[in-house]
Amino acid sequence: MAQKEYDTFILKELDLVPEDQEIEMIVRELNPPDRRYKYRSIYVLAKISKSESKYPDRLWVRLGKGQLQEKPWSIALIKELNKFV
Amino acid sequence: MEQHPVYKDNREFIKALESYGELVTVQQEVDWDLEMGAIVRRVCEKRSAAPYFKKIKDYPGFEALGAPLATYRRLAIAMGMDPNTSIPAISEEYVKRTTGTPILPVVVDRKKAPCKENILTGDQADLLKLPGPMVHDGDGGRYLCTWHFVVARDPDTGAVNWGMYRQMVFDEKTMVGPVLAFSDMGKMFYGKYVPKNKPMPFATVIGCDPMSGVAACAPSPIPEDQFTGMLMGKPVELVKCETCDLEVPAHAEIIIEGEVIPNLWIEEAPFGEYTGYRTSPREPRTVYRIKTITHRNSPIMTISNMGIPTDEGQLLRSFSLGLEMRRLLESQGMPITGVYMLPESTHHVVVVGVRPAYSNIASQIANLIFGSKSSPWLHMVIVVDDQTDIYNKDEIIHALATKCHPLRGIRKYEHAAATPLYPFADPEDRRWSRGTQVLFDCTFPLHWPKSDVPIKVSFNNVYPKEVQDKVLKNWKNYGFKD
Repeated sequence: MAQKEYDTFILKELDLVPEDQEIEMIVRELNPPDRRYKYRSIYVLAKISKSESKYPDRLWVRLGKGQLQEKPWSIALIKELNKFV
Repeated sequence: MEQHPVYKDNREFIKALESYGELVTVQQEVDWDLEMGAIVRRVCEKRSAAPYFKKIKDYPGFEALGAPLATYRRLAIAMGMDPNTSIPAISEEYVKRTTGTPILPVVVDRKKAPCKENILTGDQADLLKLPGPMVHDGDGGRYLCTWHFVVARDPDTGAVNWGMYRQMVFDEKTMVGPVLAFSDMGKMFYGKYVPKNKPMPFATVIGCDPMSGVAACAPSPIPEDQFTGMLMGKPVELVKCETCDLEVPAHAEIIIEGEVIPNLWIEEAPFGEYTGYRTSPREPRTVYRIKTITHRNSPIMTISNMGIPTDEGQLLRSFSLGLEMRRLLESQGMPITGVYMLPESTHHVVVVGVRPAYSNIASQIANLIFGSKSSPWLHMVIVVDDQTDIYNKDEIIHALATKCHPLRGIRKYEHAAATPLYPFADPEDRRWSRGTQVLFDCTFPLHWPKSDVPIKVSFNNVYPKEVQDKVLKNWKNYGFKD
């Protein structure tokens, strides 16, 4: 299966982002099977790493004003969270 | 009743734009993911004709109109006027039409409402099945709603509000966007629904007739559905929503119905904003959950692209805000010669021309403007005398540079309510919508002896009329081509 790609907005100092811990975050899907769903946002429980290869899926990082960081991180989605129930 | 062409929907307006050479029909397929946005942005920056996209990647059957009202020429066309009409003449016509008795809308049967041609509910009501563009690279999401309006009703008074509140698609059923506390819908939602923990029904209207869009931008106290009728010269046709008691323009292209959810916030932004920057932070904002989407056959989206001037948000907000300020000042008997808000200022700067009838009249003007409900959207008032053309940027800059005393001519108004979108604002002030406003008084003090008042040196001012006439008459004879 092709590697999935996501992105997220990090609103604090990148050094303060916890790695290898379960965290709640919002990610956007970048390569869904149906392209109409690109940029769909989801709340997830996930583990992330600044290493590109540690977790199965790729995570691109943007800063609060949308600035894309040069190198991707990696992410393992544990589960999708439904905040609207 | 109306004596000018009236476009009942976006489609008739598109034809009118085409007939005046103000439309480029793009037959080539374009990508909703940045390409469409980039085209519209370049159109705004070059003041090009409005692009009408016939094929959108991934979304067969949908079309889109970009930058529908980004120039005064297109505003004139929308109002049924000659595209070459001057800004003052468009302004006079706008004021004339919107002064007097409001024209109530009429509610038509749903069979006569094209916006009901397709009704999507349940899983079919899916925001991602609409071609919401990724407008700018780096935006927080796909902004389905950039040239549109949101309909809501005051639960106590029943008053209807139409306003342009940007909406970003979060997922299939959710949109999110800023609803500022000082806005009309903000006062309604945060003042009346949220304290009772009640969801607020809303309807988003995309692809409306041009006058409804103009009305939704206008800060008038007249309800926008009636204001639209005044601009049109006849009642706007509305139709009942599917899921609530709101009414929407029957000839609109797409209607999204749902509820604004109290006490729930989702991260929204960043977004390329009307100030020409990405300023407001990504932070939790107001949540819209949708229930139903209705749309016309082959619906035509409308897209605005906020950025450096001039887009329709800047142009129309400047236009209508300035004229609302004019109404306010005239209602107070101020001897003004006109009010013009520069679109290039992203509606932050308003220029007021006045006959300086008494000392400190500029302060009184600024007090009125900064005390009005629209004041959070602007922070600079420039008052010039009646010898200055308020529509001429060169003359405004000249007056500012030569008549405004750097100490007594500049007056600051601190602790003001302010939009959080000001790029110059400190992050903490943005967070709390706080700001400072400023008056530039470009009138010479009245107490100066007449012999001390500088004399403006211009062709029109320092030559006898017979000399001016002679020079004008012989201009080409001298060899000048202009």
